[in-house]
Amino acid sequence: MATREVISTGNELSALAAVDAGCKFFGGYPLTPSSEVMHVISDLLPKVGGTAIQMEDEIAGICCVIGAAMSGVRALTATSGPGVSLKAENLGLAQMAEVPLVLVNVMRGGPSTGLPTRVSQGDIKQASNPSHGDYRSITLCAGNLAECYTETVRAFNLADRFMQPVIVLLDETIGHMHGKAELPTVEEVEAGIVPRKTFDGPADEYFPYECEATEPAVLNPMFEGYRYHYTGLHHDKNGFPTEEIETCRKLIQRLEDKVMAHQDEIESNEEFMCDDLTGEEGEVLIIAYGSVSLAAKEAIRHLRANGIKAGLFRPITLWPSPATRIKEMTDKIKNVLVVELNIRQYTEEIERASGRLDLEGLYKVNGRAISPHEIVTKVKEVF
Amino acid sequence: MAKTLMRFTGVGGQGVLLAGEIFAAAKIKTGGFGLKTATYTSQVRGGPTVVDIQLDDEEIYYPYANDGEVNFMLSVANVSYQSFKNGVKPGGTIVIEPNLVTPTEEDRKKWNIVEIPIITIAKEEVGNVITQSVVALAIANTYMEAIDKQVLIDTMLSKVPKKVHEINLIAYELGEKYAKESMK
Repeated sequence: MATREVISTGNELSALAAVDAGCKFFGGYPLTPSSEVMHVISDLLPKVGGTAIQMEDEIAGICCVIGAAMSGVRALTATSGPGVSLKAENLGLAQMAEVPLVLVNVMRGGPSTGLPTRVSQGDIKQASNPSHGDYRSITLCAGNLAECYTETVRAFNLADRFMQPVIVLLDETIGHMHGKAELPTVEEVEAGIVPRKTFDGPADEYFPYECEATEPAVLNPMFEGYRYHYTGLHHDKNGFPTEEIETCRKLIQRLEDKVMAHQDEIESNEEFMCDDLTGEEGEVLIIAYGSVSLAAKEAIRHLRANGIKAGLFRPITLWPSPATRIKEMTDKIKNVLVVELNIRQYTEEIERASGRLDLEGLYKVNGRAISPHEIVTKVKEVF
Repeated sequence: MAKTLMRFTGVGGQGVLLAGEIFAAAKIKTGGFGLKTATYTSQVRGGPTVVDIQLDDEEIYYPYANDGEVNFMLSVANVSYQSFKNGVKPGGTIVIEPNLVTPTEEDRKKWNIVEIPIITIAKEEVGNVITQSVVALAIANTYMEAIDKQVLIDTMLSKVPKKVHEINLIAYELGEKYAKESMK
């Protein structure tokens, strides 16, 4: 893979990635610690014929993104947890109407306005179901600077593939840290773009929501000669509201199945220094994601230097979770430590996937990062 | 080269962030790894700000300096000095702006505390208070010998507008001069 070296921050890389991935519209409202995504993209988009707009609030920020996406362009919004709370209703609309968009959430301390400038991973559960009702969230979580770029690119491709919002989680640490990132070239990114499917038959034979049981809707861009209806209500093949029993059941089941039947296209993990973990006594598996995984990697270097065989399992796609792989890893290794900047938000998913209730955890919710030293101390204390 | 850990502390708005970015970028230019991570408060102007700068030949994972491992700290505000001084290794160097930072006698025994009037130099000798970050950059590099001087200056110039190149070069030279004098 051809690469280039860029010196930047996570937030800036995320904005750059959106533009390289063909995003032509940004709508949002500046919210610490995500604001630089908006700053940078509002500079970049006009240069490539795109549009960036600061709306009057978070809600309007996502509404205009839904509108842009309906007209056929790739569209982005960025915010932090409090903004996602406000956008939740419209994320639900985009799930129901099957509108592809990307939301970058740079996590800060919560709940409510919380700790605006401090790091947290408190939005993990929120990302899995920001709005009410049944649907499957696709949530990707960047664990280093390069992934702020590559996961944003991937989010756009997944949004168009599955016709729904895709959330990219950064956190304050990774969003603001400034350093070197090895990125794929723009040509490489462009070559990987798969535009959303469109219907090109006669207009009177077009039924956007009439699709296979495990496939997304095929929504042609508005204003191009194909008529259909958009709604948050249960709807029929044309998009018009219906309460017909079987149509309602099939629609919601399809929202679930279009994601869960294609997990292999979505799942992504990193296994760091796990190759030599065989399940012997004394081995340690750390599970962490996002910026916490950076501390975990440093901790693993220390532990190994001190004779403790440790490795890291890092989910990159958080939702749907890599449950099968978590099960395989936690079946093999007895000593498992989950490290999160929240209280057990992903641990509960790991417990579900592993079927184990004896996992150790290290959690922090005071707006400060977890240091490698704290992880090393915890490992030595509990195992 | 072993890992270099530097910490710049001040209050929001003083420009300590830029110095960190310049260090990281210069180290990366020479083929190494550099990371700058800032911590600030909701109070954007006037709140304590800390910038951790890590330079290494190997990949750096954790972006913050571990407390107790910082080799060099520079502080231009008392509130931040007091909050972050304990991150510095015993015996490490702390450069302070003596008009604004007041270390205790115990601090002076624990660390090598060096007084350089960074803000006065920028304001009166360079003629622009904004250049204090470049004065600080020069002082830090003179103490730590972290980056080749020319590489650092070139990186600095690439990050500031052309019309202020000249005063920033003056600021760098003055910072270096004061640092060398303080070492005597």
